[in-house]
Amino acid sequence: MTSATLEKPATAAPSLAPSAQANRPAGPKAACLLMGLDLGTNKSCVLAGSPGSSDITVSKVVPSVVGYVKDGIVDGIITGNAKVLFGEEALRQMLHVELAVPLAEGVISHPEAARDFMLHLRQLADPSGRSEIRAVVGVPANAGEQAREAIRRAATGIFSHILLIPEPFLAALGYRDDARVRQPGYVDPVVNSLFIDIGGGTSDLCLVQGYFPTRDDQISIPFAGDAIDALIFDGLNRTYPNNGLSLITVREIKEAHAYVGPSRKPLEVKVVIGGKSRTLELGDAIGNACNALIDKIYPALTTLIASASSDSVVTLLQNIIVTGGGSQIRGIDTVLQKKLADEGYESPKVRLAGQDFQRYVAMGALKAARAARENQWQVLLG
Amino acid sequence: MGRIYRRICFLRFEGRGAEATQIELTELKEAVDAARRESPSGPEADSILKRLLEEEGERVADAVAFAEAIMPYLPDHLAAARPAVSPSASGAPMLQKAGPRPAGDPRTVADFIEDMLAQDRPRAR
Repeated sequence: MTSATLEKPATAAPSLAPSAQANRPAGPKAACLLMGLDLGTNKSCVLAGSPGSSDITVSKVVPSVVGYVKDGIVDGIITGNAKVLFGEEALRQMLHVELAVPLAEGVISHPEAARDFMLHLRQLADPSGRSEIRAVVGVPANAGEQAREAIRRAATGIFSHILLIPEPFLAALGYRDDARVRQPGYVDPVVNSLFIDIGGGTSDLCLVQGYFPTRDDQISIPFAGDAIDALIFDGLNRTYPNNGLSLITVREIKEAHAYVGPSRKPLEVKVVIGGKSRTLELGDAIGNACNALIDKIYPALTTLIASASSDSVVTLLQNIIVTGGGSQIRGIDTVLQKKLADEGYESPKVRLAGQDFQRYVAMGALKAARAARENQWQVLLG
Repeated sequence: MGRIYRRICFLRFEGRGAEATQIELTELKEAVDAARRESPSGPEADSILKRLLEEEGERVADAVAFAEAIMPYLPDHLAAARPAVSPSASGAPMLQKAGPRPAGDPRTVADFIEDMLAQDRPRAR
């Protein structure tokens, strides 16, 4: 029984706001729109397109944040006097909103914000609100049933059908160059690769070897971008007490200067503290925090390599791919590759996924949505 | 509460005892505590809860037994009864139809999804 019809939750899902009801998928004559959705802890990506075509009509990366406008804000301060803001707009209006983060460690932590955020993503994909939306949503490797159920609940009434697929597999699918799959010499990442997807909340590693990864092929580590931010923040406060820099500023510093490997000093960063410009030496704070990530993911990497068959492991070692926001950490590919080589692994090659690192999961999700058979979708009864 | 307990029962049937216990210790415990708080009489509440949980457990057991009984007949029945996915019903373009993969063909994305769904299905007992 592959076609799952979800039971309507006995405890009703939060009632839709009027705007949500207006944007509910219309009746049976609505056009169908497919969405690929990467719900990230810090950033989410939505891609949309019609079934039966390979066109992508919407492609957006949105910070995963919802801003609920505070009471008493003067008319006109917020564009259109909106009550809820999303993404960049919510961050721009930080002073005037209560910020809510829908996800923590890759799973929904604030159901109301998650629901509002999904509704926003739906509106980005289908501004008319008339289409029947079918969404493939990425979930962290090894996400439990509770985490999956939270996504289904948040999506009920927003999408008509849903399919939840582990993110590392979607990343491999998104990274795959479909036009070259049958070309000689092309190493299909779906056939034999090891994906390391470093996000905000979790780092997910996944062995992809021509069949759908089992639970044993995937390792999810609750240490990723956010944990690095926290470590830099702590290191910064130890070296420069009372600096007053926020976690958001620390994240911006990390995104500009993150590195792994030997200490890179001097690494001087200009910041504004108390209205005055200061230059801080952050080589150790950033290096120590980012190298902690290597310490976490390297044992998982070698565990998965050890589980690959002896026939496949040599090719696999040539096809280790780092994606997600963590792929932007300078030197992460060379440091992992060197560690493997130093430990005697046969000619390892670790590559970065490239400039579309924020989109591969959603790209894979949209491909999966286009390929899914009718009986593989789960119907959301809203 | 019934829904939560049914989920626990299903997870146990699937051999996912750890997840079941996790839900039992969190969601179910919260629901039971809330029900007890709202009830004027403790023993009466316990009796109602016990009966409810027994009934839900039986429902799941019946459902699983029924599913096992009809499982062998489903493929033939579905093959005969399944219409092509009708885009005209929704006005949407045709979505890919279910169907066996011809032998020798490379695995398609739908086949991978099928693998994933097979992993999530109740395991044979």
